Amino acid sequence: MTLRQPTADARAEFLAGLRDITPLTFGVAVYGLAFGLMAGQIGMGGAQTGAMGLLVFAGAAQIVAVERLASHAGPALAIAAGCALNLRILLMTASVRAEFAGRPWWQVALGVHLTSDENWALMHATRRSRPVGYWYLVGGGISLIVMWVLVTGLAAEFSGLLPDPSALGLGFAFTAAFIAIARNLWRGRGDLLPWMASACLAAALGLFAPIDPSWALIAGGLAGAAVAGVRGCD
Amino acid sequence: MTSAWITIAGLAAGTFTIRLSGYLLGARLPASGPWARALKALPGSLIVALLTVLLIQGGPAEWVASAIALAVALATRNLPLTMLAGLVAVAVVRNAL
Repeated sequence: MTLRQPTADARAEFLAGLRDITPLTFGVAVYGLAFGLMAGQIGMGGAQTGAMGLLVFAGAAQIVAVERLASHAGPALAIAAGCALNLRILLMTASVRAEFAGRPWWQVALGVHLTSDENWALMHATRRSRPVGYWYLVGGGISLIVMWVLVTGLAAEFSGLLPDPSALGLGFAFTAAFIAIARNLWRGRGDLLPWMASACLAAALGLFAPIDPSWALIAGGLAGAAVAGVRGCD
Repeated sequence: MTSAWITIAGLAAGTFTIRLSGYLLGARLPASGPWARALKALPGSLIVALLTVLLIQGGPAEWVASAIALAVALATRNLPLTMLAGLVAVAVVRNAL
C-alpha cells in the first residue's frame, strides 16, 4: 500500500469498507463453517482447505469442485465445473473496471481477486448515498477473505471431531447445501424455463448416456444458460 | 490428497483468469442482451443440473430429505438451517426404511 502512497482518503475508504462489510462477513463465516466441515470429511486438511479459500476465494465454486472430487469425477472435471460456475464474475469485474484502470499491476491483481458477490454488491449499494471506489471494495474483500480462510481451514482441521460421517448421512450434506444455494440464486419466474431445461437435459444424460455425470451437469448448465440467453428478458 | 491440490491449482488459475479477463475485456463484454443473460443464468442452471444428477443417484430417503430441505430453504433462505434439516431428515428416513 506504500507504492502508490495512498492518501488519507484511500485509508479512510479502506477502513469504511472493512467496517461496512461486517454483517456480510459473519454470513460468510457460517457458510465457511459448513464448507470446511464438508472439505474435512472428504479428507482435505486444514491448511489445504485454507489455501483453497485464499487462492480460489469463490464459495459456491469451491463446494461444487469439492463435491465433484468426492464423487470421484477427477480434478479436470472438478475444475471445469467450478470454473463454469465462476464465469459470471466476468461481468462483475467488467462492471467495476474503471476502479482498476491506471493502477499498478499488483493493485489490479489484488482488486480483481478480492471481487466477490458480497463486497461488489455492497459497493454498488453504498454508491447510492456516497461515492466509494477501489479501496472500499478492497477493504470489504480483505475482511471476507480473512474470515473465509480462517473459518474454512479451522472447520476442516477439526471436522474429525464429528462422529462417523456415513452414520450421520453427511454424504447428503452437499445435496442439502446445493438446495440452499439454488434457493439463493433463484431470481424469479424468468428462471423457471432455463432451470427446467437444465434439469431435463441433466436427467436425460445422467440416466441414459454412458458418460461421467459431471458432463451431464455441465451440459445441463449450459443448456439452461442458452435458454435464458435466447428466451429471457433483461 | 494430490488430486485436491491439482484441483485447487487449476480452479485458482481458472478463477483468477476469469476475474482478470472481466477487467481486461471490459467494455467488449455485453452488459445486457443474450450473452449477458446467459452468463447471469449459468450459475443457477449449473446448480440445478448438479442437483438433478445427485437426486438421480440417490434413493427415496434422499428424495424425501430433499423435499424437506427445499421447504426449509424456501421458508428461511438459510444455508446452515437447510443443511441441518436435510441431514436430520435423511438420517431419520434411512432409519425408518
